[in-house]
Parts: sequence; structure tokens; C-alpha cells
Amino acid sequence: MRRRRLWSLLALAVALALPLLAPHAEYLLDVAFLVLLYGAMATGWNVLGGFAGQVSFGHAAFLGIGAYTAAILVAQGWPIWATALPAGALAALYSLIIGWPTFRLRGPYFSIATIGIGEATRLVALNWTSLTGGASGLTLSAAPSPATQYYAALALCCGAVGAAAWIQSSRFGYALAAIRSDTDAAETLGVDTTLAKTQALAISAFILGVAGCVYAMHYLFISPDSVFGFSTSIALVVMPIVGGLGTVLGPLLGAAVFTVLREQLEANFQNLDLLVFGVLLCAIVLFEPAGLLGIFNGLRQRWRKHS
Amino acid sequence: MAQTLLSARGLSRRFGGLIAVRDVDLDVREGEILGLIGPNGAGKSTLFKLIAGILRPSAGSVTFAGRSIAGGRTSAICRAGIASTHQIVRPFRNLSVLDNVLIGAFFGRRPRPPHEAARRFALETLERCGLLERADSPSRTLTLAGLKRLEIARALATEPKLLLLDEVLAGLNPTETDATLELVRGINAGGTTIVMVEHNLRAVRGLCSRLVVLVEGRLLLEGSPDAVLADPRVVEAYLGAAHA
Repeated sequence: MRRRRLWSLLALAVALALPLLAPHAEYLLDVAFLVLLYGAMATGWNVLGGFAGQVSFGHAAFLGIGAYTAAILVAQGWPIWATALPAGALAALYSLIIGWPTFRLRGPYFSIATIGIGEATRLVALNWTSLTGGASGLTLSAAPSPATQYYAALALCCGAVGAAAWIQSSRFGYALAAIRSDTDAAETLGVDTTLAKTQALAISAFILGVAGCVYAMHYLFISPDSVFGFSTSIALVVMPIVGGLGTVLGPLLGAAVFTVLREQLEANFQNLDLLVFGVLLCAIVLFEPAGLLGIFNGLRQRWRKHS
Repeated sequence: MAQTLLSARGLSRRFGGLIAVRDVDLDVREGEILGLIGPNGAGKSTLFKLIAGILRPSAGSVTFAGRSIAGGRTSAICRAGIASTHQIVRPFRNLSVLDNVLIGAFFGRRPRPPHEAARRFALETLERCGLLERADSPSRTLTLAGLKRLEIARALATEPKLLLLDEVLAGLNPTETDATLELVRGINAGGTTIVMVEHNLRAVRGLCSRLVVLVEGRLLLEGSPDAVLADPRVVEAYLGAAHA
């Protein structure tokens, strides 16, 4: 436990010093930013999908609501940093509205319903032109410096991973683990399963909403197809599964692999990334359901036995 | 005479055209072990689920410790003091034996106990149920007898006033049966009222202070175990008219 804390502090120190250590490596900083942003998003998804076992294919909706909230408020003259909280809050509020009907469904039926929710949200954003600008999207005028963006993503990611670590060790985390295993049995033991699922969804959506704000400050242009796109929802499912479903650090690891791989593949072979992630996902599900983190832990145990 | 802990009035449940439980009046007295018997398909498990709030009654009322509970949320009924075991065991397979019991200790009691107190209580409960040495094992590694005990331990960790045991002896060998009977007796001696559905009539005769017979969803009769088991109507319900 103590060693773990030491490693976390070390990792944090390196992360904090990165812009100073590599002042001219803009590409490195850009990739690190994306890893942290996608890591936070995957960690947020994992609160509901991993811890509580409610697999959502519509989480782009929360990212989109966060991003649009930030962009619209900035257009009203708000500073970008001040939009983080409203972005998260609005996404969480929206999650409460959609959680009420969808949590009446179980397992695959819930997942299918979330596809519908995600797509419906995208279509509303596409057609509500007066608010969202429709298909032509919204543009933000000025970007903060790369270092500022990087620190924003780092703060977001630390917050998300910290929240996940707290949840996992808390009583709430026990409730979610019981729900993932057997919702009815959890209910008969006194767990208000609908309430716990709704809370997990709200936390998850809040993290995605704040991530939407950071997304907007980086890309400066958002459109329904980018932030509300189905491919974003799919990426949010793939990253935690590849890294380690229902673990604290798995989603971040999955996001790192996902981001670096995608950057390389997109630069060299268009669209090959989809094939690679498809194969990777199948391999993980078939051979190591605990994800890359599971492989890593297995290797570490074997190494300990030998030494 | 002991006070009534739970009383059901006119309790019915239909599944489409099938009436699984019809117009049942039932009183459970504080401190007793009440046996609920009847042939397969008589509606015993359905009646349990109506009391525990897992199913909503189509008609009728349930009053527990003076409060109406019919139609309430299952988790709320559990926290009010009614715990039930599942006929087909349903452990949380991804959790350890201790964590399974901790769920009950964390969420099934009111007011919610602090973390350490809940943990201690869960360990004590495991010890009572003879599962202490398996506390850290994954629950999926237990035998059927172990899993049935885990069902009891989990329910017990919610500190129920009323414990509903659904066929906890089914599938156990004679040694395991005796151990479980001893456990049930101990739980009752500790002040917990018990209603049990059971097909093992020898065990029921030895354990229960009172029996209720359910046939085709209806309450056939109730009384002392000896009187009920000797009644020709009960023999007929189980074995057919030729044996009555």
C-alpha cells in the first residue's frame, strides 16, 4: 500500500514536470494531453460500465453536452476554466433524466437503449441549429497555451482516477460490485440498486461533462459528429475493456494504448485503426478478460515466484 | 400468546392466467419457527417473494411490526427487518465470502453501521455459520452446502427480525443437514423469527413449532407439526387420494 502511494507520487511528479522537461517537444505534450483526456473519459465511463457493470454505448452524449455547454458559455463571455463546473453539472443532470427510464432495463437491453439515447442526443444537437449551430458546429476563438491545456487535462485525469480509487474502496463501491454480480441479490440484501446505479451514472456523466470542456479548449471546434459521434461512444467502451474493466488504473492504461496506437496508425494508414482495435478487443475478451492490467499483474506474480 | 410479527391478509398473485397464490391469510408470531409446506408448485416460493417484496402482490396486504409493507421496495423491506435466502443460491461470484456477507452488513441494517463495526459483525456472522476459515476465498469456490450457508450468513448479516429460509436443506447430505438444522435452531434461539419452506418433513417435524400447508396457492390448514402431518388432507395433497 505504501509502495503504491510512492509510485503514484512519482508518476504525478513526472507528469507535473513534463512540460518543463520537454519544452520544445510539442508533439509529445500533445500526445500526453490526449492520453490524459481520454484516460479521464475512460475512467468516467468505467465508474458505471466497469464498477457497476452497466455497459453504456451512449456516453458520448455526456461528453457532447459538456463540450457544447463550454462552447456556448465561452461565446457568452465566460472564461473557459469557469465552464468546467457547469459542463459537468449539466451532463450529470441530463444523466438523471435518461437514467430514470433506461435503468428499468437490464443487461443487453440497457446497453441497446443507451445506443438510442446517444444517437437521439446527437440528432437533437444536429437539428437544434439556433443553440448548437447545427452541422456547422461551434468554434472557440482562442486556445490556452499547450502547457495550460496539458495541466487542465492532468487535473481532470487525477480527479477522475482519484474518484475511482475512492469509490472502489468505499461502501458505495461494494454496492456497485454487488450490482455488477447480481442486481436482484443485492436488492434483497438492502442495497437500493436503482439509487446506486443512478449515482454511478451521475458521477460518470459529470466526469465526461468536464472532459467535454477540456476537449473544447483543445480542439476549438466542436460539431455533433465529433463530440456526439457513435465512434466516441465505442472508444469509451473499448479503452476500459482493453486496459482492465472495473479496475482503477485499467481505463487509463487502455486510453494510453488506444491514443498512441491511433496516432501512429492514423498518420500512416487511414482507417486501419478500426481494424486493429477490433482485433485487440476480440483478443482481450477471448483470452484475458481482465485486460492489459490483468496480463501485467499475471506477469508480476510469475516474476515474484521466480525471484 | 406471543405477539404477531407479520400478518398477511387476502394475499394473491397472478401470473397472467395462473393464480400462484390466492387469498392467503397468514400470521407469523414473534419468536417462532413456522414451517411452510406443500407439494411442488403450491406457491410457497411465490408467497415468500411477496413477503420479501421481490414480487408485488396482485391483491392483499402485508403488515410487518405494525407497518404496511406490501408493494414496497425490496431493499427497504430488507432494512425494515425481513431477510430472505434464495432457493437457488445466488452468491456474488466475483466477491470473496467475507465481501458477500459485508454487503448485507453494510446495507441491510438501519442505521448504517460504521465500516469497522460492519466488518466485525460480518466476521462474527461467518463464524456463527461455520464459514470463517473460508472468509477470503472467492465465493465461487464453495461447495453447494457452503453456498447455502453463505445465503444464510448474508441474510443474517442484515440482522433480520424475520428470516425467510427457502429450502436451505435441499441437496445437502445427512451430516450437512444436521449441521444446518443446528444453525437454524441457534439463529432462532438468538431471537430471530423464522419462516421456512422445506420439503424435508422429518426436519420440519423436529424444528418447527407450527406448520402451514399451502396447496394450489391456497392455505389448506395450519397447526402443530404432528397434527398437520397426520391430517388426511395433507397426505392426499402430497401422495394422492389413494394413500389418504
